[in-house]
Amino acid sequence: MLTVRDLTKIYTNRFDTQAGGVREASFDLPDGTFFTLLGPSGCGKTTTLRCVAGLERPDQGVIAVGDRVLFDGPKGIAVPLNERGIGMVFQSYAIWPHMTVFENIAFPLRVAKGRTPPREDIKRDVEQALSTVGLSGYGDRPATRLSGGQQQRVALARAIVHRPRLLLLDEPLSNLDAALREEMRIELRRLQQQIGVTTIYVTHDQSEALAMSDRIAVMEKGRIVQMGDPREIYFRPANVFVASFIGAANLLTGVCAEGVAPGAEGVVQMADGAAIPCLFPAGGTAGQPVTVSVRPESIALVSEGAVLRGEVTAVSFLGGSARYDVLVGDIVVRVVGGAERMVASGTSVGLSFPGSSAVVVG
Amino acid sequence: MNTALTWVRQDMRRVIAALVGIVLAVLMLPPLWILLQDSVTTTNAIGDVTGFTAGHFAKLFTDKDALRSIWNSLVFAGGSTVLSLTVGGILAWLVERTNAPFKILAYLATIVSLGTPYILHVIAWLFLLGKVGPLNDIYRAITGGTDSLFNVNSMAGMILIEGFLWSPLVFLLLGSTFRAANADMEEAARMSGATVLQTLRRVSLPLAMPAILALALFVFIRAIGGFEVPALVGMPGRIYVLTTDVYEATIVVPPDLGYAAAFSVVMVLIVAVLLYFYSRLSKNAEKYHSVTSKGFRPRPFDLGKGRWIAGAMIVANFCVVLLLPMITLLWMALLPFLRGFSLAALPMLSLKNFRTVFTAPGYVELATNSLLVAAAAATFIMAITALAGWIAARRGPGGWALDQLATLSLVFPGICLGVAVMEVYLRVPLPIYGSLWIIAIAYVIRFMPYGMRYVYSGVLQLHHELEEAAGVAGASSLTTLRRIVAPLLSPAIVAGWLFIFLVANKELAIAVLLASPGSQVIAVSIFDQWVNGQGGELAAFGLIWTVLMTAIACVFFVQGRRGGTDVFGN
Repeated sequence: MLTVRDLTKIYTNRFDTQAGGVREASFDLPDGTFFTLLGPSGCGKTTTLRCVAGLERPDQGVIAVGDRVLFDGPKGIAVPLNERGIGMVFQSYAIWPHMTVFENIAFPLRVAKGRTPPREDIKRDVEQALSTVGLSGYGDRPATRLSGGQQQRVALARAIVHRPRLLLLDEPLSNLDAALREEMRIELRRLQQQIGVTTIYVTHDQSEALAMSDRIAVMEKGRIVQMGDPREIYFRPANVFVASFIGAANLLTGVCAEGVAPGAEGVVQMADGAAIPCLFPAGGTAGQPVTVSVRPESIALVSEGAVLRGEVTAVSFLGGSARYDVLVGDIVVRVVGGAERMVASGTSVGLSFPGSSAVVVG
Repeated sequence: MNTALTWVRQDMRRVIAALVGIVLAVLMLPPLWILLQDSVTTTNAIGDVTGFTAGHFAKLFTDKDALRSIWNSLVFAGGSTVLSLTVGGILAWLVERTNAPFKILAYLATIVSLGTPYILHVIAWLFLLGKVGPLNDIYRAITGGTDSLFNVNSMAGMILIEGFLWSPLVFLLLGSTFRAANADMEEAARMSGATVLQTLRRVSLPLAMPAILALALFVFIRAIGGFEVPALVGMPGRIYVLTTDVYEATIVVPPDLGYAAAFSVVMVLIVAVLLYFYSRLSKNAEKYHSVTSKGFRPRPFDLGKGRWIAGAMIVANFCVVLLLPMITLLWMALLPFLRGFSLAALPMLSLKNFRTVFTAPGYVELATNSLLVAAAAATFIMAITALAGWIAARRGPGGWALDQLATLSLVFPGICLGVAVMEVYLRVPLPIYGSLWIIAIAYVIRFMPYGMRYVYSGVLQLHHELEEAAGVAGASSLTTLRRIVAPLLSPAIVAGWLFIFLVANKELAIAVLLASPGSQVIAVSIFDQWVNGQGGELAAFGLIWTVLMTAIACVFFVQGRRGGTDVFGN
């Protein structure tokens, strides 16, 4: 169990006035969780990771693994990073070029506090780590003669060889090409489940986060703005930022037609008079201005029972699906639908979606 | 006619390459040729070759003194290399990779030393460690005797002074190595459970080792060719090295130029072999470059309480390299004649020497001469190397040959190049010998490789598609050079100009044989004054000069940092 409480670390950058870092981040991760910190660059996700690793000293907060406190601001506890027993894969992999693959992986065992384990144990553990990442037989290779994907696997083997209780991954896939990235995504998730190690994964790629995680924390400007499982994050975005950062979102504005209880469905009156059904996670009062998020694939093109009406202004055939831009009043609504029967540009169409797919986000 | 014109237009690069090649060949080849020729021939009084001889080399390799000089050179260069690498290396690591305090002092000492003629430092340390200097004063005060603790005119004294002379350069070069190093490598080791010391020993040092070895070789080469310390510290103690032997053979009447040339050939050979290994090592160092992450700033090591010890080391270095020498020079400048630090001397302090510098004729002219010669040489070098470096870096026609020609003079220690240039231009029927021109030409030959290096690495940083896009857009190669390459390259050219300007104004060895009474430059004049015992005026003038050069060094340093290029173009 990893506990992070009120973690704060603020940078004042010399070059711009906006301070970076992380503010009051809190989360609890049950053992074996694959947890992703997701957000645009500069949102504080890497700072959070580095604070947990011990590479940065937080300004305040508490970090604990199980009952072992790694950092406690008020009590002045800060376990040095080399005594935290955490595995980490760096964005650049940081494979030491002056060592062989074997020596790279054996390093955490050799520098372990207390006595160095016997030679056979090191050999056994390294080989096991190598086979876990699918690199059996690569031990004698010089580290400089590895492809990007292999370096990545070596970095992973090095991070897990001493059986850490926590594994930290800092954008490990960002230096790989697209095809390899897809493959490693599945591979990483499989490995994590096989070992069962609690993992914090940092990325700015929302599809990676959705595909791999048990839980996702979306960060913006140093704060965690929403935390939940991937489906929750995608279908129930908590605010406009999350809705538009995770996948494509149509943002419609209007006013709440009548009072709605938290978590219930209600009706939003748009400026042109159309009334759309939607979910009010926090409830609403009559006349309150709101923004509603609807995913393009939740919208169907219909001839009857339409919620909104508009004209198709652009059509793209994407193979498995088709994408339409529909002009509704003065806003463009994006719709993704089946590609078997397509609607031509210029056609007048009706749009329909269930209230449960439209969420008030602000 | 028409077709010829078309051909020229189509491949202007070929024409440029040929012209630059001719200029470089005319400048760079004769000195080497003349040295080789002199070393195996006898000449009559007016310098005509009268016959071949192996006598110079025979004398060199049978003469006990000559063999001792070779041995002394190796000990001297080896010792000062070890000392400067230890001092400069530790300092660079502390400043770039730890949270030690007072880092600014390390930079300050380095910038000022970039602008100070070596000879001023040497003179200051000679005084500090010398018979009447504070070190031996304190020793005598403690023991009550009349003996000295330390004889500065010894091999130990030479190594000590030369080592500290080079440590700022080591600090700068290794500093950029440590700064460019991928901090992830060290953090990964720390995350794996390694302590700071384990990380240093098993990751940081092995990774920096190729760069450290290459730098060691570089300093060794420079120390072998060093002249200031052997001349001022070694010669009074009758300790001779190769450079001072060459100097002696040249200034005796009549000059034994054959013998000097043979000595020079030996040094050039040693340096050439070392340079070969140096280039191999530098290539090796590049092998360790790895994928770098998208710039999280490197986190310095936390030394804990040890940071105050580290801070003390930085302050101590600052005192030794900058503060003490400068105080010494000030003391010398304020006194009418040279004496040790003492309260009794305080009433004698006056600004008389400074007044003399500003009013006496000669000093202003001397300063103008020096600045003029250095500026002219730097300008000419950058103009030539901008073309040569561009063609070489882009593997244009004859690029390899241009590169070799422009960097040929790296094999010359300054004093040997002085001998060679003197010989060449004695025979040229133009009024160059005995004028400032000959010093300017020697500077051009000597510092051409630096200009080349700045431009070359500058071009490599430009994506070649920038030029190709200009070509596709319809620009000729001349237009591309003028409109695309030159503007983008200007930071590298400016940095190279400033660097050459600075080192040219520090250089003694190259000019000491070429300057004549009417055409002096700073370093030579300081040398003469020291030999003549005019310490006070020398120190006053030296201090003023140092302030001026430090201002230029600041510009250079800021420019280098801003341009993102390595200060030394490595």
